[in-house]
Parts: sequence; C-alpha cells; structure tokens
Amino acid sequence: MIVSFIPILAVDVIGSVAMVVIALLCLYKARMLREMDTDNAVFLYLLWISMGFTIFALSRAFGHILKQFLVLSSNPDAWYAISSYSGSVNTGTFMLVGMITLFFNHTWNINEKIFSSRQKLEATHIKLMDLNQTLEQKVVERTERLTSSEHKCRRIFEQSLDTIIVTDNEFKVMEINPAGIILTGYPRDEMIINKMDVGYFFCDPAEWDRIKNTISLKEYIFNEEAEFLRPDKESLLVLITGVVDYGAFGCAKSYHFIIKNVSEKRQMEQQIAQADKLAALGELSAGVAHEINNPLGIILGYTQLLLKSEPEHNDDLKIIEKHVQNCKTVVSDLLSFSRKGSAEMGIVDINKVVNSVINFLSNHTDFRNIKITLNPHTGDRLNIIGNEQELAQVIINMLINACHAVERKGKIDIVTLKTQEDKILIMVKDNGKGVEKKNLSRIFDPFFTTKPVGQGTGLGLSVGYGIIKRHQGDIHVESSKEKGTVFTISLPAEKIQNQVRTRG
Amino acid sequence: MLKNLYSIRKIIKFLTIIAIATFIFLPIDVSATQLHASSEGVITHQMGHLFFLFSMAALIFTVTGKGLNKQKGWRLIQYSAFFFILWNLDAIAAHFLDNQILAAKIENISLTRIKVVTHNDSSIIGWLYYFLKLDHFLCVPAMFFLYKGLSRLVNDQRLAMTKKDTP
Repeated sequence: MIVSFIPILAVDVIGSVAMVVIALLCLYKARMLREMDTDNAVFLYLLWISMGFTIFALSRAFGHILKQFLVLSSNPDAWYAISSYSGSVNTGTFMLVGMITLFFNHTWNINEKIFSSRQKLEATHIKLMDLNQTLEQKVVERTERLTSSEHKCRRIFEQSLDTIIVTDNEFKVMEINPAGIILTGYPRDEMIINKMDVGYFFCDPAEWDRIKNTISLKEYIFNEEAEFLRPDKESLLVLITGVVDYGAFGCAKSYHFIIKNVSEKRQMEQQIAQADKLAALGELSAGVAHEINNPLGIILGYTQLLLKSEPEHNDDLKIIEKHVQNCKTVVSDLLSFSRKGSAEMGIVDINKVVNSVINFLSNHTDFRNIKITLNPHTGDRLNIIGNEQELAQVIINMLINACHAVERKGKIDIVTLKTQEDKILIMVKDNGKGVEKKNLSRIFDPFFTTKPVGQGTGLGLSVGYGIIKRHQGDIHVESSKEKGTVFTISLPAEKIQNQVRTRG
Repeated sequence: MLKNLYSIRKIIKFLTIIAIATFIFLPIDVSATQLHASSEGVITHQMGHLFFLFSMAALIFTVTGKGLNKQKGWRLIQYSAFFFILWNLDAIAAHFLDNQILAAKIENISLTRIKVVTHNDSSIIGWLYYFLKLDHFLCVPAMFFLYKGLSRLVNDQRLAMTKKDTP
C-alpha cells in the first residue's frame, strides 16, 4: 500500500528534537533537585536517570534524523552501513536507563536509611540541646542558690556579734570574723597568716588543754566558761561552744567555735548579787545598830556622870568613855550605811564638793607626798540633788583608800564629767598596788578590809556605797594588779532647778 | 644431593621459557571464538526493549509500593514510566514485523510518499506498521511527564525548604 510519508517524517524529526530538548530540561531539573539537597540519594538517582534519558534521546535522535536524511538524499546504502552501529548504541542507552531504573528500590532504601539516621541525629541533637540548655539552666539556678547561700553564711559570719572561729585540725586559726578580731585584740593577719593557735587566747593554758581534750573526746563543747587574755592584758570571761566538722567533698577536718563575751553580763550579775547582799547587810546592820545605840548612850551618860562624881577612877572611866565613843562612831557609820540616818537633800555642785575635799585633804600629813590632779568638767555646772556632807564623806573615803593604796606617795587623778545620758561621773584613779581579783567582789562589804588590824574598820566603802545608792547613783571599781584602781561614781544630774526634797 | 636439586630447577626454568616463546612467536588456530548470526543484533535489541519495559514496570510498582504515588511529582513519573512501557511495546512490535519476521517494510517512492510492503499485501499489517512507526507519540509524552514530575518535585522541595527555614 502507498501512503503519505509526511506524518512519519514530521513525527520522527520533530519528535526526536522534542525528546532531546525535554531530556535536557529533565537533566536541568534533576540538577536543581540535586543542588537543593546534596545528601538525598533519590535526587542523585533522578539525576542519573535523567542523564541516562538524555544520552538515550541524543542517540535516538541522531539515529532517526540521520536515517531520514540519508534515505531522503538517496543514500540508503550509507544508512544500512551505519544502522547497525546506531541501533547498538540505541540499545545500549535504553539498557543503561533500564539498569539505572532498577536501582531505584535500593536507592530509595539507602535514602530512607540516611533520612532515618538524619532524623535520629536531629532528634538526638535536639535532645542534647535541650539537655544542654536544662543543664545550663540548672547550673545557673544552682549557682544562684549557692551564691545566695554563701552570701547568707558570709553575712552571718561577718555581722555576728559573737566571735566565730574556724580552725584546722590542729586548732590553728583559719578564719575569724570581725567580732572575733575585736574580742581577741589580735590583728587578723597575725592570726590567719601566722596560724595562731586558739590556745594562745586563753589566760590559763591548762584551761585550754581541758577544753581541747573535751572536744577531742566528745566532738563538741557547749558553753564552756573560760578566761581570755587580750594583748593589752585585759582579761575577758567567755563562753565557748565548738564542734568538729569532718568536711565535705574531701575537705579536711576542721573545728568551728562560737565564743560569747560574758564579762559585762557576769559583772552585772555580780553587781546585782553585791547589791542584794549589801541591802540585806544594811537591814541587819540597821537593826543591830539601833539596838546597840541606846545602851551605848546610857553607858556613855553614866560614864560621864561617874567622871564628875568619882575622880579617883578618872583614868579607867576615860578609857570606857573613849571606847564607847568609838562604838558610837561605828554604830553611826552602820546607820549611815543602812540609810537609817536623816539628812537634808539639796542642790549640790559636784565640782565644788570635790574641790573642797581636795583643799581639805591636801593639808593632811598623809597626802603631802601625793600628787592630786583634778580634771573638772568644764561647761555647765555639775549639779545634782543630794546631801553635800554625805557626798564629801564618800569622796574623802575614796581618797583615803587611794592614799593607802599608793602607800602615801604616788599619784591620784580625779576626773569629773557629764555624760550624754545626763549622768555625772566622778572618777578617782590611783597608780597604787591595785586590788586582788578575789577581793574585788567584797570591797563594798561592811567590815571587809585588807588593812592591818586597827587601821581600818572596813566600813568606809560600805558607807560610801550606801550614800551613793541613796542618791540613785552607782559606784563600781576596776582594778589591775600593780597598775592601780579606778573608782567611778555615777550620779543622776539635776533636771529640775531648785528642787529640794527632804528624806526623813 | 643439593647440587642435583639445583640442576633440576634450572632445567624446569629453561623449559618454561621455551614454552612461552613458542606460544608467542608460533601461534596456531585453536577455534576458541564463536561465530554469530546477524539475527543476534535484533534479538539483543528486542531484549533491551524488554529489559527497559520491565525496569519501567518495576519503577511504577516500586513508587506505588513506597507510597510515593501520593505525591504528584512521583505520580507524574509513574505516568512517564507507563508511556515508556507503551513505547517499548510499540518498538518491540515494529521490530518484530520489519526485522524479525520480515512481514513489513517501507520503500521510499518520493519525498512525500512511501510504499508499505507487507507479507501477502495485508493492509491490516500495513496500517498497523504505519502507526507503529509513529512511536514518538508515545516516547515524547513519556519524556514530558518525566519533566513535569521533576519540575513538581523541585517545587515541593523548594516549599519544604522554605517551611523549614521559617521559624
């Protein structure tokens, strides 16, 4: 049959060209895919298959167009000569495409594995990131809490009014707070750099040995009383509490001590006890003195009558009269101590009283070799409500005691001043031998004296104490062996001018 | 004893060199290669088409098996494979008629006309062969579907990357 060749020719040529063009476009798109994700094995596969199709299209187009050209140009023999080669190449190209296509399943599986691994890797990465962030957050939170805790502990350590000491296992000072530096009186560097032993603070080494043994055995001590000696030789009464710390995170064993200064508290307690004791003694003395005073008056009266009527026993009667007078003086002192006397109260200028006492005593033979220095308060007058004679008696007693303390040659300083709390202070300071510690608590007791028998009645300071208490004042003493003694009288300053009252 | 052993080794070495020289310089016809008939080329070509057809069918089933046909790009690639299958069937049939059983052939009469010569002048075979020769109606759409499929995959990938980059 004879048919038109045009459709076959047109479809062959146009189709071949179209195949090549579309195959090249496919190659372009496949390359784009590949560049978008170079790790995707499927995209790599698509690139390969596109390359295969491009080669196939080129080979096929070349063969078809060449065939039509040679046949139409009346060279069919030439086409028959090369058709075998063209066909072989064509066969090879679509077999290549077929082979590449058959690898799709494997390629896909490989890609799935890669994708799955990548997803796992990303999930693990996210988890790790989360963990890292959580860890960082936790570290930040813990650091904040640790810093806060450290700050609190540091504040407690720094601001504590009690002494806190941390020592190593040999009781060498490692840390001490500011209160401890004030209490012990040693510079911080000297204690820490030189690794000072805690025992060095103790007045008595035996006391430290006892405390050390206790803490070693029991691993703690609680409110152990001890006496510290500062570098300026001032002694302090302290309560020590301590524990062993075996440390955390490989830290070495250490000891923590909390030390309270109870000197002032103890002194106050002693003063209260002293005041109670003296009050009791005053009551007792008042009763006894009252009962003795009347018989003594009768004895003295009869003795004086006998002296007039019986001149032959004059010497004996005078001895009786003298001793009765002595007894009357003692009884009078006792009554004065126990506030059973009667005295008028008025406005008294303390500086004036002190001056008159110094003027009076400076003429006394016992004070000739003593240098008395007065440092009076300047400014407003030191007025109080009181009895001038009684106050003068108290100051005289103190100066006489000071005179005895310096053994009639030395130095006595008298200071008067007014504090911001409206207290008037009279300080009598000597550079004498001082009072022994054991006697300090007894010096205001009636009849207590350290003087030889016959030289003192032991009532001077007792009477003085009674007078000052009656004036709503206070008296206390500080003494250091071989350094001297300071008596301080504290009296309330007058607040209302011209106030006069009488105590009956 | 050792001297005898050394002499034997020298003789073996000499004989080996002589044998190799004989094979190189004095070759003889040993009839080792096989002769091939010209029909082998057509058979091989037809097997290539079958292989191509099979690989395209495998691609269609693999894409379906992996569930990729839910994506339009891969679905278009499946269409491409289907058209390539049709093209291979067309090509196999055409080659069968003109090259294998020699039932049809084309003779150029002029630039615009041809004569389809068939066995027993069968017009059915003639028209069948004529249409089979228009195989570009199958392979060009196949290639076009492949291009569209790849284009779609490029767009999908671009969209996925944009989504990934968007916080």
